Amino acid sequence: MTLIDDLRSAGLTGRGGAAFSTAVKVAAAYDNGAALIVNACDGELGAAKDAFVVAAHLGELVEGARLVTRGSGRIRYAAHRGSDTETRLIAAGLDVLDVPSRYVSSEETAVISLATKGLARPMTKRAPFVGGGRDSRGRRIPPTVVLNAETVWRIAQIAAYGPDWFRAQGTPAEPGPRLVTIGGAVPRPGVLETAAGMPLTTLLAAAGGMPSGAGYLWVGGLGGVLMPAADVPRLRWSSADLAAYGGSVGPGVIDVLDPRECPVEYVDRMLTYAAGESAGQCGPCMFGLPAIAADWHDLAAVRPGNRATVESRLTQRLALVPGRGACRFPDGVARFAASAHRQLSDHLAAHAEGHCPTSPTHAGPTHAGPTYPGPTYAGPTYSNSPVTPVAESTSRSSRVV
Amino acid sequence: MSSDQRRPSRRRAPVSAGAPRIGVDRVACSGHGICAQTLADVVGLDEWGYPIVADRPVEAKDADLAVKLCPARALYLRP
Ligand code: SF4
Ligand code: SF4
Repeated sequence: MTLIDDLRSAGLTGRGGAAFSTAVKVAAAYDNGAALIVNACDGELGAAKDAFVVAAHLGELVEGARLVTRGSGRIRYAAHRGSDTETRLIAAGLDVLDVPSRYVSSEETAVISLATKGLARPMTKRAPFVGGGRDSRGRRIPPTVVLNAETVWRIAQIAAYGPDWFRAQGTPAEPGPRLVTIGGAVPRPGVLETAAGMPLTTLLAAAGGMPSGAGYLWVGGLGGVLMPAADVPRLRWSSADLAAYGGSVGPGVIDVLDPRECPVEYVDRMLTYAAGESAGQCGPCMFGLPAIAADWHDLAAVRPGNRATVESRLTQRLALVPGRGACRFPDGVARFAASAHRQLSDHLAAHAEGHCPTSPTHAGPTHAGPTYPGPTYAGPTYSNSPVTPVAESTSRSSRVV
Repeated sequence: MSSDQRRPSRRRAPVSAGAPRIGVDRVACSGHGICAQTLADVVGLDEWGYPIVADRPVEAKDADLAVKLCPARALYLRP
């Protein structure tokens, strides 16, 4: 059996969030003699699993990378500037790609652009860059494949223990062990080693459980969805179960919202942050995301008033953004905003009547809201983030089986 | 739909077999909106002037002309 056969029968898919077949990607990398970039950026908000792989399984990670390039071909490890992960990779003498600490900088094509001496911004993918291609200015991009760090670690494990070992964990649709990062209002945030099919209650219990009165979980970060904490007891950690909320296991991030904080205001801060993280290259993203964040900011005010116009404008804009950027960032943010809009409709309605269900004294968001330049604006906005993404401090992992 | 937004028309002219679809390089596109005129059947514009492209084939000669006329060289053909 070749590695490709093993990966195919194991059913390994990318652990960075896109869940694309790793066998197909590696086969294309073989065919094209592609260079490899191991993405250890933990690009999603709250993710810390790549950091865990580098801290705890570096040997297997390096072996997995060697298998993908068959011992020849350049291997680089992408990590955020100044992160512990970057320090560890450099200390191990590996070839490190220093990625700026911005949300879309760690996107697949942004990492390829950076690795080929371009800016750390996504590129239009007219065809997969594993076969080589050109950026929008015609700059030649040599064949390059990007694999998430957990994915590369799993490749080494499958090569060592075989596809049957892998398939013995998880579900037939989502086989194999996988990492999940749990954060937010839990007593023991961190990275857990688990598999699809695990009851969500069990997973959360491993992180110390949800606080009493917990209202919502945020699953999948800026590209994810909001779901009611009350549904947790009947759900498993699987894309099939999360599909009811428009979500998937994605990059494996669960954030428990603090019940003492207004969820509408929380989403407001996240959307304002997201609007500032658009790489400002593609019109529908650089205008659409600030417009969506501005609509939400209007809806979030705790003040009696008719919000019907803003509601319908937001709905229209949410439908208009997906699929119209070079990368999937706007699709993800629109999915998150749409899910928050659905889940928090009662809460939003209360705000529009002049009171907040979380706290009688809450008067709505206090920050200024996004800079929405409007249709006449001519260039990108690069505002600084009003929130600090969760630090990738976690190298601890507990096993939940 | 708000009035400052234009969807591609629903009218469907029959096209030849193997006719291409239009792709937009979103990084290159500067929102000139010329494609909404050259390919009015499949391209509309959003409230900011950026193209909304219907996912259906267009006649190769129309597509070629639109690609040529895009000032940002942002349009390309997809199979
Ligand atoms: S879609 Fe947004 S984030 Fe992605 S490349 Fe375009 S402007 Fe940047
Ligand atoms: S003509 Fe070219 S630059 Fe103008 S909107 Fe269409 S694709 Fe964009």
